[in-house]
Amino acid sequence: MEKIMESLPFMLEGSVVTIEIFALTLVLSLPLGLPIALGSNSRFKPLSWLCKTYVWIFRGTPLLLQLFFFYFFFPMQLGWQISGFAAVIIAFVLNYAAYFSEIYRGGINSIDRGQYEAAHALGLSKNQTMKDIILPQTMKATLPPIVNEAIILVKDTALASSLGTVLELMKATNSAVNRTTDLTPFFAAAVIYLVMTFVLTLLAGRLEKHFSRYDAKEEW
Amino acid sequence: MSREIILEMKNIVKEYSGFRAVDNVNFSMEKGEIVAIIGPSGSGKSTLLRCINGLVNVTSGEVNLKGETGMVFQHFNLFPHMTCKANITYAPINVKKQDKETANRHAEELLKMVGLENKADAYPAQISGGQKQRIAIARALAMDPDIMLFDEATSALDPEITGEVLNVMKKLAQQHTTMIVVTHEMGFAKEVADRVIFMDKGVIVEEGTPEEIFDHPKNERLISFLGAMLRV
Repeated sequence: MEKIMESLPFMLEGSVVTIEIFALTLVLSLPLGLPIALGSNSRFKPLSWLCKTYVWIFRGTPLLLQLFFFYFFFPMQLGWQISGFAAVIIAFVLNYAAYFSEIYRGGINSIDRGQYEAAHALGLSKNQTMKDIILPQTMKATLPPIVNEAIILVKDTALASSLGTVLELMKATNSAVNRTTDLTPFFAAAVIYLVMTFVLTLLAGRLEKHFSRYDAKEEW
Repeated sequence: MSREIILEMKNIVKEYSGFRAVDNVNFSMEKGEIVAIIGPSGSGKSTLLRCINGLVNVTSGEVNLKGETGMVFQHFNLFPHMTCKANITYAPINVKKQDKETANRHAEELLKMVGLENKADAYPAQISGGQKQRIAIARALAMDPDIMLFDEATSALDPEITGEVLNVMKKLAQQHTTMIVVTHEMGFAKEVADRVIFMDKGVIVEEGTPEEIFDHPKNERLISFLGAMLRV
């Protein structure tokens, strides 16, 4: 017990870094997924080919490989020193944007043709149709898979520990176990990850309720 | 009274991978006229209607349209994430750039006209099919179209509630709204239309006044179509 109290402040500091990686990745990859989704759906073949290839590469190779690639690519190929944290953010954002784009694309493609026809008949521009008619309707359907990805992201942050220079929760936990030769930090870390995913699930439930307000069939 | 041609369609052809859905159709209509298009399923009547507002691009031919169209669909196509009122005001505010107050006032008048002023804040999922279609009519009218296009507006509704939608359409007819109505409602076509067009296999087979079409049909295909419709 004493040993875990000794390691806990260090682990909590690591948790902050974990949350930073999580939040930054989410905030940057969620919007980045949208142009990739629209590009994949584009009738302009070179653009759709480019976007689909992007998704193929980032979904088709290990995130860990991408992480090491970006960590070494900038200093070795371009001579730019970047921090481990920056490499993590770049790799995670590009990787998660690929997944999110496919979720968006599925949502967009699930919307009935009649919605596009009604928008066209009313004289809406393509941008207005996408922004105000199609995308808002995809929110509800895409929320559960997005939350699923976000939960995976919480756990994927642990991959950052493999660089050795990013002191997030997993790295802090490993150090604590090595230093104290005691396994309790693993349990403590598990609890912290569980709390994070639990909070996420709660927030998701609220959002889901919010988005389902317009399909309540209560009046007839 | 001067007769103003509002829509003229010349030699309209629409092909879908070799299949001619509309085959060299000529059609024109005057302002204030009410035209009903009847015919069996797959006769090209909906396709022809969609050539008017560009939902279908013609393969060849010419569409000359003076003014704007409004369209009412078989499956309503209301925007499910917007309230009924927002469905009606969205296009006037965002396309016509009307100020919100004007658009809201107009929407309230239209809701009253279709008898649904108490559903302004309801979402489409909360109202019945007949009510949805009446909101869809109000939404199309909110843009002050010069021609209203009705694409089988009652075909998706249960027979006992088609009346509430047809009544709104009759009200529009009494106000001399220019309308093209693709329909299976022979009674409505007979009662309301100035001119009835019978289409089959992508061509206009016969056209005339409701009396000519329903009481003195000449073409055999029209006679057998009317016979089949009366049997149901």
